[in-house]
Amino acid sequence: MVVCLQMKLELKNISKNFHGVKALQNVDFQLQENSIHALLGENGAGKSTLVKILCGVYQPDSGIINLNNKQQSIPDPSASLSLGISAIHQESVMFDELSVTENVFIGNHITKSNGLVDWGLMQDKTNQLLKDLEANIEPNEKIKDLSIAQRHIVQISRSLIHDADIVIMDEPTASLSQKEINELYTIIRNLKKQNKSIIFISHKLDEVIEVCDEFTVLRDGELIKSDSIQNTNKDQLITYMAGREVNQIFPKNNVTIENEIFEVRNLFKKTQFKDINFNLRKKEILGFYGLVGSGRTEIMKSIFGITKLDEGEILFKDQKILIRKPSDAIDQGIVYLSEERQQLGMTGLMSVKDNINMAVMDRNSNFYVMNKLKEIKNSSAMQEKLNIKVSYWSQLTQSLSGGNQQKTVIAKWLSTKPEVLILDEPTKGIDVRSKSAVHEFMGELVEEGMSIMMISSELPEILGMCDRVVVMYKGLIKDILNVKEASSEQIVKLASGES
Amino acid sequence: MKKILLNRDFILFSIILIILIAVGFANPLFVTPKSISDVLTDTSILIILALSQMIVILIRAIDLSVASNLALSGMLISLLSTVHPELPVYYFIALSCVIGTILGVLNGISIAILKVPFIVTTLGTLSIYRGLIYFVSDGKQVYSNEFSEDFLALIHVKFLSLSFLFWLAVLVFIVIYILLNHTRFGRNLYSLGGNPDAAKYIGVNENKYIIMAYSLSGFFAGLCGYLWVARYSVASTQIAIGFELTVISACVVGGISVMGGVGTVLGCVLGALLIGLIRNALPAVDISQFWQLAISGAIILLAIIINTKTEQRKEKTIMVEN
Repeated sequence: MVVCLQMKLELKNISKNFHGVKALQNVDFQLQENSIHALLGENGAGKSTLVKILCGVYQPDSGIINLNNKQQSIPDPSASLSLGISAIHQESVMFDELSVTENVFIGNHITKSNGLVDWGLMQDKTNQLLKDLEANIEPNEKIKDLSIAQRHIVQISRSLIHDADIVIMDEPTASLSQKEINELYTIIRNLKKQNKSIIFISHKLDEVIEVCDEFTVLRDGELIKSDSIQNTNKDQLITYMAGREVNQIFPKNNVTIENEIFEVRNLFKKTQFKDINFNLRKKEILGFYGLVGSGRTEIMKSIFGITKLDEGEILFKDQKILIRKPSDAIDQGIVYLSEERQQLGMTGLMSVKDNINMAVMDRNSNFYVMNKLKEIKNSSAMQEKLNIKVSYWSQLTQSLSGGNQQKTVIAKWLSTKPEVLILDEPTKGIDVRSKSAVHEFMGELVEEGMSIMMISSELPEILGMCDRVVVMYKGLIKDILNVKEASSEQIVKLASGES
Repeated sequence: MKKILLNRDFILFSIILIILIAVGFANPLFVTPKSISDVLTDTSILIILALSQMIVILIRAIDLSVASNLALSGMLISLLSTVHPELPVYYFIALSCVIGTILGVLNGISIAILKVPFIVTTLGTLSIYRGLIYFVSDGKQVYSNEFSEDFLALIHVKFLSLSFLFWLAVLVFIVIYILLNHTRFGRNLYSLGGNPDAAKYIGVNENKYIIMAYSLSGFFAGLCGYLWVARYSVASTQIAIGFELTVISACVVGGISVMGGVGTVLGCVLGALLIGLIRNALPAVDISQFWQLAISGAIILLAIIINTKTEQRKEKTIMVEN
């Protein structure tokens, strides 16, 4: 059967420069009607620039945009919306303090004939919409009380209300659990059935191959390849994206695991988690797998002294220790790298050097006076070790690329010379190459004698990097498995509360 | 039930009741209908200004120039009334509002178009507008005998034994309630304050909204310019000096977040009422004047602490049974 597809959107020769940096160079992009199109590329490849051009946030320096075979310009975001283009962004486009209904209708409130907003009608429509999507969300709830997956669904409802023909999804599955991802796939396929075209941005190539019909790969602002998904495979996509073969095998070196170094007993926090018992051995990588919101981050935050435990004890090197605040943990040699590295990990307006030295000010000072020499020594050593790309030392951290920011945060914590490192989703939303750099680095750290606890929602990462995995479900440890003996099915089953 | 008890506005209302009862025990005269109606009248201007300040605070800004705007508008119409006492009072009210709006628009343009930060702009116009009063009045006062009868009469009109000022505040409350909750304009103010970047994506024109918010703030400052002058029968360079801080405290006590996008119209009114109540109650219970300022400050702080403690983001529940 030959399906004749209509061209929905066509970009021709799009170029965009920022202060001499070529973000996009003569890029062509074609979106068929009724198809799911993957837009691929490493961080900085030009994907977001392209999306922002479609959303009317940026104007291309040159090139043509054809929508339904008619040339269009998109001068601002509202023009983009009225052309039927709607983007579902990774974060920060929701209004936390407003209700679900209002977030769905935002900028598009229905008004009665007297000009006042018609709350009743909007409420009913939202209810209907959520029912159609088979989502269990109350229209009255505030966005801040929803899970990340539920927020995505609200955003999708929003684009349906706008009657968008083209829906752009920027990493919609980045922080979702497998179950939620599957639900999202169903919704995406439903959208396709309703004759929508979807641009799907993701770093997870398995899901791209599963969900998408076509793909376009960008690298350094240039078009590399555009084709049907059927004509390619995962390795080929990686090669297109990276421009070279990237080792996807996890570089876990064989280290001999030594004695137990860290243990928790009967940790309990009301409404969050209970009966948490596990231990960590020297040079071990212990994984924490579970749905988003299963209590993994909450446990780590309590161990690190950010939130208070209700009950339970923590043992470090066979000694009972008391951690009341993060500095207690740091003094013991336990550090925690938060999932939200931009907000909680670094100070964008401070220099790279100052960020690296931030957690060790006491060690780099004599009687409260900073010792500049020690600081410079420390930051240079870290920069060399982690290969942080800076132009000059006083460069502001916010002007670095995402990958280098991440490295700066890691450098900050490594400066404290920790023995136990807690990583919370260390590779979330970063490109393939940076990802394997982080993995490689974790391997080196355990070799040097560090012990690592890693929260991850990506099963391949858990299976590839960890020695043992703690599987959590709704604040309880379901099991602790030896990775070599565990199957992925078994882990997923435990994490979704079955068996 | 628990939800109602933890509601910010409800807590604020309870605090007001508790203070009222406590003061009533100390001085029963304070809780007579007459006395309470006086407090309401006395607080009306604060309520109106707090409601208009709320519009600005909702979009993550502040208007420090309101008191100067009020004083300048009030002085200008007072001067006009000494020259043209025959003009009807509605003419003066309208003129005062127009002057206030123009002063507000100037703030808005400076912030939205010239990109001068709001705090710098309104700190500047706070002095400029106040300075202009000296310029237009030569530093002189306009006394009560210089106003026309008509000019001062309206303010003393009573309806159901409550003052004109009070009913005007009620009207402003209803108008702003509808504006913020039932119009696109109002809802977009909430979205702009809650998440400016996202608001741009849905096509909210930030500059337009900044200018509109400051115009409204200016409009009500102008309105209060007339009210203030008529109520106290005097226009001088010194009227309402520092009043912008009282207005902002009323908003903050009322739960209007200075981070933008959060706050209810009812909360704002209750915040203003609480402050008005404290200011009136302290003299009634014989507290030395020297202490009054410090005590009212302490009570405001306390109200905010109680308020935020209960509002603190509740942790998400992970485990159902515990």
